[in-house]
Amino acid sequence: MKEEVLDCNGEACPVPLVKAQNKLKELEVGDVLVVQVDHSCAMKNVPEWARKEGHNVEIEEVDDGEWEIVIQKAK
Amino acid sequence: MSDTPTIPRSSGSIPRSSSRSKKPKKSQIPYAFVVLAVITLVGILLALQSSQLGFFWVTGCIFGFILQRSRFCFTAAMRDPYLTGGTSLSRAVLIAFAVATLGFAAIKYAFFLRGLPMPGESFVVPISFATIAGAFMFGIGMVIAGGCASGTFMRIGEGFTMQMLAVVFFIIGSFWGARDMGWWTEKFIVHGPRVFLPDVFGWLGAVVVQLVFIAVLYILATKWENRKNEL
Amino acid sequence: MKLRESTHYKVWFKDPWSYVTGAVLLAVFQTVTLAVTGSPWGVSGALANWGAWVYRAFGGSVDKWYYFSSEGAQALLDRGFLKDPGTMRNLGIIAGALFAILMASQFKIKKIKSWKQVVAAVLGGLLMGYGARIAFGCNIGALFSGIASLSLSGWVFAVFLFLGAIVGSKLLVKFFM
Repeated sequence: MKEEVLDCNGEACPVPLVKAQNKLKELEVGDVLVVQVDHSCAMKNVPEWARKEGHNVEIEEVDDGEWEIVIQKAK
Repeated sequence: MSDTPTIPRSSGSIPRSSSRSKKPKKSQIPYAFVVLAVITLVGILLALQSSQLGFFWVTGCIFGFILQRSRFCFTAAMRDPYLTGGTSLSRAVLIAFAVATLGFAAIKYAFFLRGLPMPGESFVVPISFATIAGAFMFGIGMVIAGGCASGTFMRIGEGFTMQMLAVVFFIIGSFWGARDMGWWTEKFIVHGPRVFLPDVFGWLGAVVVQLVFIAVLYILATKWENRKNEL
Repeated sequence: MKLRESTHYKVWFKDPWSYVTGAVLLAVFQTVTLAVTGSPWGVSGALANWGAWVYRAFGGSVDKWYYFSSEGAQALLDRGFLKDPGTMRNLGIIAGALFAILMASQFKIKKIKSWKQVVAAVLGGLLMGYGARIAFGCNIGALFSGIASLSLSGWVFAVFLFLGAIVGSKLLVKFFM
């Protein structure tokens, strides 16, 4: 099981989502992708997309206006 | 609706090796109250000058609050169907169009019945090559700048320096466009027709046609999202 | 600290609202705006005036420009920045968003990360500004207000906005990511 961290701090929409989509394609089922974002729109659209795709998603507010979106590839 | 109203907190069930040590967070709520006090004070000062200024200020603040709280973004609504395959914002924008259509039609019809000039008729603008070129330029610009006009202002409030830069060049672009407006008007805009849908379909017809069209787009957006899902 | 644990606080100020909630509220206040001011919501129109005020401050004159030639436009420019309702509404959007994000304790200054972002902001800003002027508005004035006003122009704007967004997405992925 692999764990990848994607630093998207400072990136504006839709860059975090597109980067997360591309990265997740490279991963295997069961791998974990951690997307770090500080964009308040990305903390909504990245989890929304990942849940829709059926992956396990958790979101953690690590600091004021900074989040880590943890996605476990499910299929 | 596929968008979730609340985002569940982390339950820590996904196993991870890396973890950022959480700093003890400071509450920013006291600053929020300072901003609220400033908003109120500015509102009072403006309202003393003219109630119109005060109203514009207060509604601006309300629009900003709604945009930020719901992460509403007209740019994403137009961009995501192609770029990411998501249409939840596009569908929300369609709902906004439908609700506002009803509100606007009611107000306009009330004025029409009394034989009064209808409010907001200046927004029924001529359709010409200038509309096409302008909309196309705007579409490119908003995607690369990461936000349209309202989105840019909202993100300045959120602390994005990139959008502060974008707004400076938005102003320069607007000024440039205003300088060339004579040319665009003479070449294209004066030849463009103004089409007010009730003139074509009647009042009821216009509202029905527009709502049905919005509903068709909504269904197409739902199908598009699901189609992308199966790929 | 009690406030931050209350469900009311979370629903009103912390967790993002659904897009549909935002849509309905925006449409309601859009309608209120039309009813009270006699004009729908617009954002980008005021920005051309900001340009004119800066230009005037440096001794330039826009009196001969077709765009500013009407008496109304001249009077608005003469009244100045602080007495322009559209300007106040735009500044209000900044203040309202700032209040919202502070209430959620999520404010952070996001610095420009790369030269790519600078180029994107400059180019995007110019295209939006110019486009909004010749098309009579932005996503609010030309699109949202246009469509709500039952004007066909709003739908034409929507079609070419969508095509522009596709081209913009291609450019973004290729050059600005």
